[in-house]
Amino acid sequence: MPIPLNVLDTRREAREERGPAVPPTEDVREKVFELEAKGEWLVQRVPDPWIGVTTKYGRIKKIPIARTWHHKSCGQCGHIPGYSTAIFWLIRKLGLDYNDPKDQTSCTAWNYYASATSNQGAQAAVAMRNFGAAYESGYFPMIHCGTSYGHYKEVREELVHSAPLRDEVRRICDKLGKPFVMPEEIVHYSEWIYAMRDEFAKRRVLDLSSIDVTVHPACHYHKLVVEDAIYDPDVYGGQRTAVVSSVVTALGANVKDYSTWFDCCGFGFRHILVQRDFTRSFATLRKIDVMREEANPDVVLTHDTGCVTTLDQSQFAARAHKPNVGIPVMSEAQFAALAMGAHPYRVCQLHWHSTEYRPLLEKMGIDWRERWREFEDDLERLKKDDKAYLTWEDADA
Amino acid sequence: MPETVLVIGGGPAGLEAARAIATIGGKALLVERRAVLGGTPDESNYAALTPRMGSAQEALDVLRAGVVDPNIDVRVETTVTGCSGSVGDFAVTLTGPAGETKEHVGAIVVATGFQHFDPGRETQMYGYYEYPDVITLPDAEKMLSEHRFVRPSTGEPPRNVAFIQCVGSRDRRLGNEYCSKVCCGVASKEAIEIRRLLPDTKVYIFYIDMRMYGYWENEIYWPAQEQYNVTYIRGIVTEIVGKDGRLLMKGEDTTMGRPLEVLMDMIVLSVGMEPSRGTRDVAGILGIEQNKYGFIATPGEPMDPVSTNVPGIYVAGAAAGPKDLEDTVGMAGAAAMRAVGAVRGLARSEAAVTR
Repeated sequence: MPIPLNVLDTRREAREERGPAVPPTEDVREKVFELEAKGEWLVQRVPDPWIGVTTKYGRIKKIPIARTWHHKSCGQCGHIPGYSTAIFWLIRKLGLDYNDPKDQTSCTAWNYYASATSNQGAQAAVAMRNFGAAYESGYFPMIHCGTSYGHYKEVREELVHSAPLRDEVRRICDKLGKPFVMPEEIVHYSEWIYAMRDEFAKRRVLDLSSIDVTVHPACHYHKLVVEDAIYDPDVYGGQRTAVVSSVVTALGANVKDYSTWFDCCGFGFRHILVQRDFTRSFATLRKIDVMREEANPDVVLTHDTGCVTTLDQSQFAARAHKPNVGIPVMSEAQFAALAMGAHPYRVCQLHWHSTEYRPLLEKMGIDWRERWREFEDDLERLKKDDKAYLTWEDADA
Repeated sequence: MPETVLVIGGGPAGLEAARAIATIGGKALLVERRAVLGGTPDESNYAALTPRMGSAQEALDVLRAGVVDPNIDVRVETTVTGCSGSVGDFAVTLTGPAGETKEHVGAIVVATGFQHFDPGRETQMYGYYEYPDVITLPDAEKMLSEHRFVRPSTGEPPRNVAFIQCVGSRDRRLGNEYCSKVCCGVASKEAIEIRRLLPDTKVYIFYIDMRMYGYWENEIYWPAQEQYNVTYIRGIVTEIVGKDGRLLMKGEDTTMGRPLEVLMDMIVLSVGMEPSRGTRDVAGILGIEQNKYGFIATPGEPMDPVSTNVPGIYVAGAAAGPKDLEDTVGMAGAAAMRAVGAVRGLARSEAAVTR
């Protein structure tokens, strides 16, 4: 009997016939609402309109379309500012309301994951302090940083399951004058990008059909509180998170597979601080080299701060003895913005990236020389004018 | 008072329960969801039975022949869709090809079995829905029943094959903390069959610890190593990815205490047991308790492994948890005795009161 070539389709059909499986983990959101009913805290609802997306075990997660409070990333703002600018540019392009707060604090999770400094109460208090600030603004928190996002979800689990911790953090929030409030969902920006990908596709101005992309899923997105990450049966059979890959496909570019997709980018939190050579070696030998050998992509897309910086900047070190490295790295937000006509320097700020990206821009149909000339003109104007920085009006001028 | 016992499920447990009921002079009404009798061993194309390698179909034929009896009313393509009443007189609704019918039965034996764990829910990254050459024990069983063990992606025989044990079993993160009992033996049996069929193929079994119950140790485990050169490696496989058209298996060799990365042509996931959809549905319809894993609860254990929490309703086989065939058939006989005993005992009591 011949082996059917549609073996994977057959398996998926059989899976549907088995009926819905009971998720192996509890739905912590139910507990969040139970605690609200007991008067333990407030729950900030996802504002209408929202989009329902499917998470790992088939539950629906609400992703707000607008009225979002943007919890920015220390590393993005410090190292790759075009990352967050691209997110805001996309929101503005869709004409959506958002809040870019000035009073957000760092989540401090890098310390926690790198060296276990700080303590449980302090960690949870920082999270709840930021949630309280978002609630006061009337906007719903959207987390730019994968680490903050993963950490806040772990904090949510701790708070839900520990009454003493809730009491401790409630007292701290009282002292800070912040409401004790838990959002209905904890949302990463890449989930919003995923939810809005068809809107971006409608506004795409570049033909990306010749662009090959490898995707690095961020560990702190899909390995922490795994049941809350987005999965889609049509993306790698529902076996890998669908964020980023689905955006690439929606924009008309090609997702290319490679065998070390599950590996960390090399950042490793502790390693990047105390054993940076390990980070550099891992990023280039386990990730970039393998991508080059197996997929030869035009660009690597990912969705977290540490991943972009590590995969990008490690190549600089490796280039000294390995001329074969040199795959540009950026976030899917920057890639989507470029596809929609965003300026590569004013908005995406690719000059902050260390790996050569200009051949990619050429292949995407972007005249980088002309765009760079415009950017240099901007700088000259800034020198002459009283203006200290470019504005949104400049970005699309 | 109806003397008939309703047996739900036409797999090994249900067939044996119905046969046993008729043997001791009772009447059985056997309902089966599928068009054929045989249950999971038939539906999943079991080839050779563990450990003695006897033909699964021949064994099922014996069980099927046992229900050809004027005291057994067999209804296929029929499910139970409603139930009321109590021991001695349950009113059940059956839905079949002719539509809905109402029947009155004195007792019920639930024999709705298990289903194989869906490896797409595994928290490890095994890629069952990504890579055609990642298969499960029942997938391998189907190929072995056809005497053709090849890579689904190419149709070529594999140069090497790895079994990964405890997929969906003994996993706290999944909530399946139990051992599924049979997978170690079945994997070892299939490994022997592959080695017999493809003597040049290397076969590996990656395990947490091998659990060979009773005589399986001597009948399967040692022959697999000593006669068929199957290699057992104590290790944890965490991830399978595609590489150069093959499967790169990553994990840890826990004996050596070091990471491993090995290229394989095929990987067989030793999927464990979970309650079948029928078991879950029937539990709701009959109002019987399920344990934390969804199997039918048997509160009288260990001395009474077949009574449910509802008087007059009994359970047999893997509907009550992981079971091998020997346990299943033995349990079916016990459930049959209890069910007939409940009906007759009640009848005797009522007769005594009338007198």
